[in-house]
Amino acid sequence: MSGRFRLLSAFVIVTSLLFSHVASAIEPSDAAGFKFFEDRVRPLLTEFCFSCHGATKQKGGLRLDSRAHAIKGGEIGPAIVPGDSSTGLMLKAVAYDGELKMPPKGKLTARQIADLTAWVKMGSPWPTDSASLVADPMNMPATKAGDHWSFLSFRESTPPRVNDEKWVRNPIDRFVLSKLTEKNLKTAPQADKRTLIRRATFDLLGLPPTPEEVEAFLRDDSSEAFAKLIDRLLASPQYGERWGRHWLDVARYADSNGMDENLSHANAWRYRDWVIRAFNSDMPFDRFVKLQLAGDLLIPDSPEGFVPTGFMMIGPKMLAEDDPVKMQMDIIDEQLDTLGQAFLGLTLGCARCHDHKFDPITAHDYYALAGILKSTKTMDNFNVVAKWQERPLADPAVAAKARTHDELIAATKKEIVSREGEGKKKLLAEARERIADYLATAEEVRKGRRASVSLMTGGKPPDGTLTVEAEDFQRGNVLKDREHYGKGIGVLVNAGPLPNFAEYDLTIPADGIYVLEIRYAAADPRPVRVLLDGKYLEDSAGRTTGGWFADKQSWDLGPVVTLKKGKAILRLERAGPFPHIDKLALVPLPPGQSAPVRPADLAVARKLVPVFLNQWVAHLDRLGKAPEGDALKKLAEAKDGPFAIPTPIDPLLAPEAASELKVLREKFARLEKERPVLPMAMAVSEGKPENLKIHLRGNHLTLGAEASRGFPTVLALPSQQSVDLKKSGRKELAEWITRPDHPLTARVAVNRLWTWHFGDGLVRTPDNFGRLGDSPVHRELLDWLASRFVKEGWSVKAMHRLIMLSATYQMSAAHDPATELKDPENRLHWRWPRQRLDAESFRDALLSVGGNLDKTPGGSLLTISNRAYVTSTANRNYDGYNSDRRSVYLPVVRSAGYEPFQAFDFPDPSVTKGRRAVTNVPAQSLLLMNSKLVAEQTRRLADRLIARPGDDASRINFAYELLFSRPASTIESSRAIEFVTQYEKAAMSEKLEAAEAKRRAWQGLCRALLSSNEFMYVE
Amino acid sequence: MQSRFSSTTRRGFVQSAVAGSLLMPGLLSELLAQDSIDPLKPRSPHFPAKAKSVIFLFMSGGVSHVDSFDPKPKLTTDHGKQVTFDHPETKNRPGYEKLFLKKPGWTFAPRGKSGIEVSEMFPNIASKVDDIALIRSMHTSHSNHFNATLGMHTGSFAFARPSIGSWVSYGLGTPNKNLPSFMVLSSEMPYAGTQVWASDFLPGAHQGTRVVPGSEPVANLKRRVATEGQQKLELNALAAFNEAHRTARPEEAQLAARIKSFETAFGMQSEMPAALDLSKESEATLGLYGLKRGETSGFGWQCLVARRLVERGVRFVELIHTGSSGNWDSHGNMADHGRLAKQVDQPIAGLIEDLKRTGLFDDTLVVWTTEFGRTPFNNTADNLGREHHNWAFSSWLAGAGVKRGVVHGATDEHGIRAEEKPVHVHDFHATILHLMGLDHTKLTYRHGGRDYRLTDVHGNVVKDVLA
Repeated sequence: MSGRFRLLSAFVIVTSLLFSHVASAIEPSDAAGFKFFEDRVRPLLTEFCFSCHGATKQKGGLRLDSRAHAIKGGEIGPAIVPGDSSTGLMLKAVAYDGELKMPPKGKLTARQIADLTAWVKMGSPWPTDSASLVADPMNMPATKAGDHWSFLSFRESTPPRVNDEKWVRNPIDRFVLSKLTEKNLKTAPQADKRTLIRRATFDLLGLPPTPEEVEAFLRDDSSEAFAKLIDRLLASPQYGERWGRHWLDVARYADSNGMDENLSHANAWRYRDWVIRAFNSDMPFDRFVKLQLAGDLLIPDSPEGFVPTGFMMIGPKMLAEDDPVKMQMDIIDEQLDTLGQAFLGLTLGCARCHDHKFDPITAHDYYALAGILKSTKTMDNFNVVAKWQERPLADPAVAAKARTHDELIAATKKEIVSREGEGKKKLLAEARERIADYLATAEEVRKGRRASVSLMTGGKPPDGTLTVEAEDFQRGNVLKDREHYGKGIGVLVNAGPLPNFAEYDLTIPADGIYVLEIRYAAADPRPVRVLLDGKYLEDSAGRTTGGWFADKQSWDLGPVVTLKKGKAILRLERAGPFPHIDKLALVPLPPGQSAPVRPADLAVARKLVPVFLNQWVAHLDRLGKAPEGDALKKLAEAKDGPFAIPTPIDPLLAPEAASELKVLREKFARLEKERPVLPMAMAVSEGKPENLKIHLRGNHLTLGAEASRGFPTVLALPSQQSVDLKKSGRKELAEWITRPDHPLTARVAVNRLWTWHFGDGLVRTPDNFGRLGDSPVHRELLDWLASRFVKEGWSVKAMHRLIMLSATYQMSAAHDPATELKDPENRLHWRWPRQRLDAESFRDALLSVGGNLDKTPGGSLLTISNRAYVTSTANRNYDGYNSDRRSVYLPVVRSAGYEPFQAFDFPDPSVTKGRRAVTNVPAQSLLLMNSKLVAEQTRRLADRLIARPGDDASRINFAYELLFSRPASTIESSRAIEFVTQYEKAAMSEKLEAAEAKRRAWQGLCRALLSSNEFMYVE
Repeated sequence: MQSRFSSTTRRGFVQSAVAGSLLMPGLLSELLAQDSIDPLKPRSPHFPAKAKSVIFLFMSGGVSHVDSFDPKPKLTTDHGKQVTFDHPETKNRPGYEKLFLKKPGWTFAPRGKSGIEVSEMFPNIASKVDDIALIRSMHTSHSNHFNATLGMHTGSFAFARPSIGSWVSYGLGTPNKNLPSFMVLSSEMPYAGTQVWASDFLPGAHQGTRVVPGSEPVANLKRRVATEGQQKLELNALAAFNEAHRTARPEEAQLAARIKSFETAFGMQSEMPAALDLSKESEATLGLYGLKRGETSGFGWQCLVARRLVERGVRFVELIHTGSSGNWDSHGNMADHGRLAKQVDQPIAGLIEDLKRTGLFDDTLVVWTTEFGRTPFNNTADNLGREHHNWAFSSWLAGAGVKRGVVHGATDEHGIRAEEKPVHVHDFHATILHLMGLDHTKLTYRHGGRDYRLTDVHGNVVKDVLA
C-alpha cells in the first residue's frame, strides 16, 4: 500500500470513527448536517462570535466554539437549544429586536440569520465535538491535516539524472545539482584540501586539525584521501564527544534541575557518557532511540538498559509545586513535549489544553500518550521538594549489601525511637503523679519572683546594676541581627558554626552578690551554658518565651554569684544554636535581701524535672492562675503543655537509660557515615499501569473522557502493535517510534544530522516537522536519505560518510553575487555555508592550541553533591568550571551556565534545541578582549611559540598552521613581526623585563589572531 | 555624550591609531545597514510610542498592599473576625485551619491634590502620588515566589520564557550601540535567578545585562591588556587580519558584523563605566536620591544609575530590591516592611523628581511592582506577619503616556480579592508594551514552529490609565 493511500485510508477511518462517535450524541446524524455546519455556520461563528466567545475570551461566560459550550450557554442562559429555534439566546440576539443584540457591530444579513436558524432547527449538528477542546476552528480541523507532507511515508525516488555528471560524487549531488540547474544556479568550486581538513575536523571532532595532520593529508594525493580522513576522524574518541554533545542539545541535558529548586543532578553524567559512547560505537539510531525510551524494558535489570532512560529524567521540574497531581502532570508534559520534538519533530505539548491548533494531534492523542508516561515511574515522590528516581548501577551482591546496611540503619533508628518513647512514657508517668507539686512549686517561683528585685518584673533595676547589650560581646561566633527581630533591638543569632559562644569582658563595680539575668526570645527551648571566669555555673535561658521576635522577649533569672570588684569574663555557650538573646544584666542584691527563688534550685531540692517546672511557670504566667479539674488535666496532657518534652530527651533520662541511648545514637551516626555510596543513575522504571482522562484546558481538576493508552491516530501505522494495558506501554511506544515505516523518525533524524553538518537542515525547523515547521526545498533528497538511513541499519557513521563524501559538502564557501541574489539563504546548497565556531569548539580549540587540552574521557566534574542546591537563591553562582577537560564534560548548570558558553550561544538547557542560534554580540568581543580564559590561553600559546626553536618567521608560521591550518604569507609574516616588535617596545616603556615584554607582545599577537574571523569561522 | 535616541554616531574609537577607516570602511557600513545583521538596530514601534524607555522597579518578596497603597478601614474595624475560604497559601496547612482578619500596621491619609490615600510606609512616594497611576486591583496566577516572579517577568508561571525587557528590546532595538538594550541592576539574585532577565528563545542580544554593584559590574568589561595603547595595537592588528581576510570575501555581511562588534565592545569599555560613574552628579542630585558622595550601592545608587542609563538610551532598565533574601517576604513580622520601605522610599521619589526635572519623565515609563501582595488575614489576628497573597496586590505606573494622580480598580472591603476592574499580570504587560508603542498581540516570535507572545493568549491593555 502506498504511503499516501495508507494514510488517506487512516484518515477516512479516523474521520468516520469520530463522526459515528459524535453521531450517537446528536440528532440528526447525517453528514449533510455537518457539511451545512462547516459551509454555512462555522464561518459565521468564526467571523462574528469567537473573538469574544471563544477559547481566549468568554464574554458573559459564554463560549461558542463547541456544541457543548453553546448548549451550556453563558451567564444568562443557553445560546442554543438544538432543534428549537424559539428558545436559545443566540437566535434572539441575532434577530436584533430585544435588549440583547449580537454581533455588537451590526446585524447579520437575512441569509445568515436564516442559516443559523435552519442549523438550530436541524438539531445543531457539529462535528468534532469530541472536544469542547477544539481551540481554534479558524485553523484546519485536526483530522484534515493528516496529509501534511511529513505524515506521509517517504516518497521513493531515484536520484535524478544531471547534465554535469563529472560534478557528481554520490547520489546526494544529483538531487542538489538537479535543483540548482533547474534554477540556473552555479555551484561553488571544490574547496582546497587545507580548507577541507579544517572543516571536517571541526565538524566531526569539534577541534582544529594539528599541523601534522594537515601535512599528512596534503601528502596523501590518492583519490581516497578524504575518505580515509573521514574514517580516521570517525574512529577518534573525540567524535562521540562532539556529536554526542549535539544530541545533548536535543535531550536538554543538564547537571542540575533548574527551576524553583535548582538541585544537582550529580548522576546525570551517566546518561551523557552513554550518549557519547553510543555515538562512538555507531549504535544504530533506532536502538539509540528505543533505549532512551524503554531501555529498562529491553535490557531488564541492567544499567545498559536503564541508564539511557536518563533522557526521560533530566528535564527541569517544579519540585516545590504544592499540588502533587499538577506536579506529576507537568513532569509528564515536559517529557512528552521533549520526546515529541526530539524523535518526531512534533510539538505534542500544544495538545495538553486543546486539540493541537496546527497539527493533527488531538487532546485525546495527547492523553493517550501521557497515560504511558503516567504509568512510568519517574519520581520517588511528589513532596514539596520532590525526589526524582535513581537506580543503583552496582552488581546485585553490592546492592544487596547496601540494602542490608540500610536495614541496619533503619533498625537502629527504630530502636532509638522506641527507647525515646519508653523514656518519655516513664518520665511523663512520674511527672503526672506529681502535678500538685509542680503546681505548688511553680506558684512559689512566681511569687518569689514578684518579690524579687529582678528585671523580670519590669521594675527599675537597683543601683549598681550592670547591663550589657548581648551583641556587644568581645569574642564570639554568633551573628548580630539588628534588623529582623524587632525595632531598635539587636539580638544574637546563630552563624552556622557550632558550638555557638559569646564572651563578655565585664567590669564589676563593687563586691557583692549578683543575680545574672538574661533577656531573650525563643520559640524552642535552647538553654545556654553560663561560665564565669572559665567556671561553669549552670544552664540558663532555657524556657521557651513563645516566639523568636521582639514581642516575645523577656527576662529570665540565671545563676546567683558572688563577685569581687574588678574584671570578670562571662561566657555563654551552647552546642546548638543560641536563643535570641537581647541583653544581659548583673543585678546586685541589696544587703539583707535574700536571693530570689530560682526554679532550678527548687526543682533540684524537690526532685522535680527543671524543664517541666520552667514550663509550668511559663504556662501559669500565660494563664494568670492555675487551672482546675478537667482544665488542669487537659493542660497536663497537652502536647505543648507544661509536660512537653524537649528534644533530645537524653538529659532528662536516668543515667543508665541515657547512656544506653547515647551508645545507640553513636551507632546510628557511625552507620550513616559508613553507608556505602552506590553508583546511581537517574532512570525510569515501570509504574502502575493506568489510563488518563482528558484534562479540559489542561486542568487536572476538570476531567473529561478517559483516553486509552496509545499513539496519535493520524500516525497510525499498519498492523500496529497496541499497548499492553497491563504494562506502561513504553515498549510499544519505542517500537512505534522506531518502525522503519514511521514517516517522521528517520526524516527527523537525518535532518538533524544534516543540520549539524551544514548549520541548517533541509527542514530548517529541526524540532518541528508539523504544519508550522519549515517545508523542505529538497523533499526528495530528505526522503531518499531517510529511506537509505533505515535501509543501512540506521548507521549514523554511514550517513556522515555519505554526506561528507558528496560534492555538495566539499564545495568552497566562495561567494557569487548573482547566485546569492537568487538564493540568499543558500537553501539549494550552491556553496558551503561558512559557520562560526560554537561555544564548545571555541573553548576546545583555545585549549588545543594552548597545548593544555586534557582528552580524558567521561566522568563527572560537578563539584556539588547529589540533590544539593547548585545555586542557592541567594547571591551564589555555580563556579566549578575550572578544568582543562573537553567542554562536553563541563557541568551544565541550569540558570548558572558557564559564562563564555553563554556568550557564544550555548542553548538554554531546559528545552530541546536542534539548531543553535548564532548571534554576534559585543559580549563575545569583550570576552575575546578581556576574559581570563582568553588571557590564559593566549599566554600559553605565546609561551609555546616563544619556546620553539627557529626564527620569529617560523614561529609565526607555526601559529598560522595551528590556528588557520595554513602557512603565513610573506607579507603576513613580516607584518606580524613588525607588530611584535612595536608591541614589545610599547611594553618595554612600562619598565617590564625584556622576557615579560616579549611574552606580552606574542600574547597580544595570539589574541588578535584568535579573535580574527579566519579563526572563528569554519569554511 | 551622544544625544539620546539619535542614530548611532561613531565614537572616538581608535581613530588616532587606526584612522578609523580601517575598521569601518564604507562598504562595511553599507553591509551592516541590512536589517538582519543587527538585532539591536532601532526599530519602529507598531504605533507611535508614548515611552521610549522603561524603568522597572521590582520589589522582591511580596509587598503588602493593605499596609501601603490599598487603604482598608474595614480591615481595622473587622480586625480579629474569622474569614473562610480556600486560599492557596493556607489550604491544608497545619495551624491554618482558621483564618482571621488582621488590621494594617500603618495609617493611611489622603495625599497630594488627587487625595489618593497612601500609608505612612512610603511618605516620599506618597508625596509624588499626583504623578502616578495606582492600580489597586492587580492579581496574579501563583502564590510561590519563584512562579510569581517568573510570571511578573515573562508572563509564564511555569516555563522558561523571554523576559519583558527582552521582548521590549526585541521589539524596539536600542539607539545606543555602546550599551546593552536591557540592563538589570541587582546586587542579589532574585527568585527564579537569571531567568528573570533571560532572552530564552529570543536572540541572545536581547538578554538583560546584569550590573552588580562592585568592582566589575559587567563581565569582561575591564581592559585586561596593560595599557590602552597596547589594546589599540591588538585591535588594529585584528582589524588588519580581518580586513585581509575580508578582501578575499567581499560582500559577506556576517563577517562585517563581527568586525563591527569589536568596535562596539571597545565603546562599551568606556561608556559603561562612564554611565556608572556618579562623580559628576551634583550634591543636589545625590541628595534627591538620599545618596552620599562615593556610595556605589544601595537602592539610591540603583535609581540614579537607572536615570543615567535611560538618559543614554538604554531601552529597559530593571532595578531589583533586594533579591531572594532579606526582602519584602515579611512572614515573621510586618515591621520589617518599614525597614525595607526606608531603603526605597526616598530613592524612588527622588527618581521621579529627577526625571521630571530633566524632562526624561515625558518619555520614560516608570513601573513599580512586586510579585504578589500579602494576606489581609492570618491564622491569628495578632500574628505579626502576613503570608503570600496572589489574589490582590497594588502596582503603579508613572511617566510617559500614563495618567497622573489616578487610581484604577479596587479590591473588596478587606483587600482580599481584586474586585473592581481586575488587572492580571498579562494585562499589566500588555499595558506596558502598549505604552512602548507595541501591540502585545503582534509582538511575536516564531520558535519551535509556534508564534510566542509575552502575554501568551491573554492580556488586555488597561486603557483607563493611559493619558
